[in-house]
Amino acid sequence: NPIYDSKSPNASNLKISRMDKTCGSVLGGDEIFLLCDKVQKDDIEIRFYEEDEEGGWEAFGDFSPTDVHKQYAIVFKTPPYHSAEIERPVTVFLQLKRKKAGDSSDPKQFTYIPQVQDKEEVLRKKQK
Amino acid sequence: NPIYDKKATTTSQLKISCLNIYRGPCTGKTEIYMLCDKVQKDDIEIIFRRGSWKASGEFAQTDVHRQIAIVFKTPPYQDQDIVEEVEVSVALRRLSDQMESEPVSFTYLPYNPDPYEVNRK
Repeated sequence: NPIYDSKSPNASNLKISRMDKTCGSVLGGDEIFLLCDKVQKDDIEIRFYEEDEEGGWEAFGDFSPTDVHKQYAIVFKTPPYHSAEIERPVTVFLQLKRKKAGDSSDPKQFTYIPQVQDKEEVLRKKQK
Repeated sequence: NPIYDKKATTTSQLKISCLNIYRGPCTGKTEIYMLCDKVQKDDIEIIFRRGSWKASGEFAQTDVHRQIAIVFKTPPYQDQDIVEEVEVSVALRRLSDQMESEPVSFTYLPYNPDPYEVNRK
């Protein structure tokens, strides 16, 4: 049975200090460097979410325990937004969340940008 | 008198794990996140080098996150008129004993503020 040091990292509050990007593609897959207060590499997740009357949406950043650097930084990939068909940028929230205890950090904003798929523009270039 | 824990970070090997960006314009000021082994925020610098040229990454002590990450800005390259990409090396250097990490590569890209040469015409 593993023995966890439940005292320090779990008792401290989760906190996102800085992120190198706060926007990315609606399709997800953007790599983000996130600097944070102490986390356990095998007991942390990055939750993207949106709250609305109909239950909202959540998805999780993609990383493995080896992407957690010295307990104070995480390199992860953004999840895709629930709909790829957005016409305007959509701002959602993300937070650090402990899997076991379920507690979470204050949220930061993240903005999904629509796909650059301007069909007219593509056609125009093809005609050249 | 403050008591510093000098054990780990004044003699330990310096190591760059990775950068979030490895390319940027020769004008500098690209914000970079570097993940590294433990450093002392008041005893570390980031050196860019190529041949006889040398410049430092720009950051404040508050940009050193928990000893294991540094958010800094690239220095401008010596030559602002490069027409091709230029690869330089980037290393961590401890101020107190001048020890350096293994370098990683960074590529400066040409900067063309006037791509259609309107101003020249």
